[in-house]
Amino acid sequence: MVWELASFPAGLMGEPPELEGVRVDLVRGGEPVRITHVLDAVEPRIRPDGRAAFPTEGKAGQGRTNRLDGVVVLPCLDFPAEERPLHEQESVIDLSGPGAELTPFAADTNVVLTFSTREGPGNEELEAWARVTTLMVAEDLARPTLDAEPEQVERFELGPADAGLPSVAALVQLSDLGPLYYQYLYGVPVGRAGLPRAVDPAELLDGAVTCGEYHWAALRNPTIVFQRSALVRTLYREHGRRLRFAGLVLMRGYEQTAEDKQRAAAAAAEAAVELGADGAIVTTDAGGNSHTDVMLTVRACERAGVGTTAIVAEMADPDAVGSGLTDWVPEADSIVSVGNAEELVPAWTPERVIGGDTLLDGTPAAGAGPIPLRNYLGATNQTGQHALTATTW
Amino acid sequence: MLAKEIERAGVPTVFVTSLPTIATMVGANRIVRGPAITHPFGLDETERRRIVERALEMLETEVEPTTVWEVDPS
Amino acid sequence: MVRAVHYLNQFFAGLGGEEAAETPPTRLEGPVGPGRGLAAELEGIEIVATLACGDDYFGEREEDALARLLELLERERPDLLVAGPAFGSGRYGFACARFARLATEQLGIPVLAAMHEENPGVAAAEGKVLIAATAVNVAGMREALPRMARLAEALAAGRELGPPAEEGYLPRGFRRNRRAEASGAERALDLLLDKLGGETRSEVAGGFDGVEPPPPVADLSTALLALVTEAGCVPQGNPDRLPTIRAQRWLRYELGSAQTLAPDRYESVHGGFDVTLANEDPNRLVPLDTVSALAAEGRIGRIHDVFYTTTGNGTPVAAATSFGQEIAAELRDAGVQAVLLSGT
Repeated sequence: MVWELASFPAGLMGEPPELEGVRVDLVRGGEPVRITHVLDAVEPRIRPDGRAAFPTEGKAGQGRTNRLDGVVVLPCLDFPAEERPLHEQESVIDLSGPGAELTPFAADTNVVLTFSTREGPGNEELEAWARVTTLMVAEDLARPTLDAEPEQVERFELGPADAGLPSVAALVQLSDLGPLYYQYLYGVPVGRAGLPRAVDPAELLDGAVTCGEYHWAALRNPTIVFQRSALVRTLYREHGRRLRFAGLVLMRGYEQTAEDKQRAAAAAAEAAVELGADGAIVTTDAGGNSHTDVMLTVRACERAGVGTTAIVAEMADPDAVGSGLTDWVPEADSIVSVGNAEELVPAWTPERVIGGDTLLDGTPAAGAGPIPLRNYLGATNQTGQHALTATTW
Repeated sequence: MLAKEIERAGVPTVFVTSLPTIATMVGANRIVRGPAITHPFGLDETERRRIVERALEMLETEVEPTTVWEVDPS
Repeated sequence: MVRAVHYLNQFFAGLGGEEAAETPPTRLEGPVGPGRGLAAELEGIEIVATLACGDDYFGEREEDALARLLELLERERPDLLVAGPAFGSGRYGFACARFARLATEQLGIPVLAAMHEENPGVAAAEGKVLIAATAVNVAGMREALPRMARLAEALAAGRELGPPAEEGYLPRGFRRNRRAEASGAERALDLLLDKLGGETRSEVAGGFDGVEPPPPVADLSTALLALVTEAGCVPQGNPDRLPTIRAQRWLRYELGSAQTLAPDRYESVHGGFDVTLANEDPNRLVPLDTVSALAAEGRIGRIHDVFYTTTGNGTPVAAATSFGQEIAAELRDAGVQAVLLSGT
């Protein structure tokens, strides 16, 4: 299967639509702006063949898709007080100051959509409205690319590769913890999407997975992380050079019972074996017991003869000694740390706040800080999107 | 845990105990399973020599963390 | 001018060698011994006094030693305490770490110690004391002093420290962020391919504070082996009253020229198992007869003439850790190269 991703400059971006109940702000990386209550981050995409950029049917990752380079859509919503989510956590992006380099995808032109809450609809209805609207706007913004020439076209295909090269699979964890904590595969919450399941890696890059999960800001994977996946891109690039890209398995974190966790881990390992993998890179979504699913998957893979490297964030008290791994098994002897999410980002005063003036803990957004890194969207991304790491001091 | 702290200071230590599961939990690295709680080094000198020699062998061997050896490898 | 106090053991304070190891806490005027070299390196900091204590005095009467040292320290109205360099000397390093920790906790002043990375004092510090890295013996004095001076100045000025490798201190165990050369994805691929190629490494250590097994003994036939037991083996009559359960201390006994533990001279006081068999023949707990025979045969170099004992029965983790560090300090100082530890 071949997929082409055509890139177009940000200047082509269409006019953001006027939407009832939605305030639209355009801000650029470097401006003294703090954005709060950020739900997700989405890169504008549209398909010349007219199929949906974020499909709920068919198969993504084939034909051609257009992308706007350097533009990010950021939906913001402060869920109403009466129905607080399970563990709400703040989600912040700073476009300047010490926090700016910690959420690099926000270095772009940011189209911030602030959704106003109103009497009547509960959290789930509001969330659905925000999510669907965001995806629609993301597609709309890319519409002018249909009449333009791309700056660059990347081709994603897996041709023949030397059989002597090690075969490497990616095992990507997605979350499902119930309403407000869903990630979606073709619009279906992953708990009901038949995971673990092998998909074509290009499907991940081409909008098959979207994020509707609102806890663990720094540790969860917003939609854009899949669209721009450094892991999948790296494996495509190295196919035929240092490895054979065996394929991609999507697996679910937050299985709810010990038996389900074991079963899912074994099934993910089996899927890796079926792909013929000698080794697998296992990624993580969010925090808490999803890390247990990762570790059990590592163990199951090792026992099935598949060597693994896991990617996780740490939660270590920066003033106390000891590693910050949430969970661990002895088989996890090869771990990438994407940073310590408990570290504090020094206080910074923005000149402007978008999304909401008060943080979820009641402090004024403009005066807040230091803010724990775990509240910065995508900061300690556990698919390895960024270069942050932790070392022992 | 005595074994771990002595090893942390760089001195190879072999721990002879009849409860190796506890020893591994607390992080001892070189562990030889002794025959009983009441006499980890055996009852008579012959048995004792076998256990001690096995322990010495372990001191002379490179090991992975928390390795348990039986006195008589089968 | 920042007022610093310098802690040394009896040897470096010029009070004598092993024969002076029982020296109680003592105050000396200004910098002494290596303190003079340190003072010469320091800018803006004056060593107003030196406190010294014998390694054995500290090891045997720790609480008392710490109380006296703290009292002496307070009188100097110090802004900073510097302890060491202890290099590889276990008892000395341990004392440095303990005293420095107490000083910072009680007086709120910054503290700096200095020793080799394998010194049991490092573990005893538990990250609460900044420790300058030194060589394993006194040949490293020339590098140690300027390094200690720079760190002392940083502490006095409240300057934020860079990473351990850059500044010359031992990692304390805090996990702090920095920018890597490549994305996590690229690093994961490098790690995985290395692992598949036979070389496994990790950016974070898992486990519950495990310790890497030390390399094996190179030549047991020339090595000094020590016996340590958690089985509560003590001289007959338990003269020092080692508790049968939840022992809050450990004891050391001279073996002299004994080649075996005679049943009329030793017994076990462990309260967690039936000691009948052990008392019939204490070698069943601490195999002195066998190791002595093996030493005579040339299989083992020498048996350490001191054995260490405690009752590993309900001992809290913190206490066990502490005992281990203290015993480790003595073993290192005695040049012990291998340990046979018995438990139940």
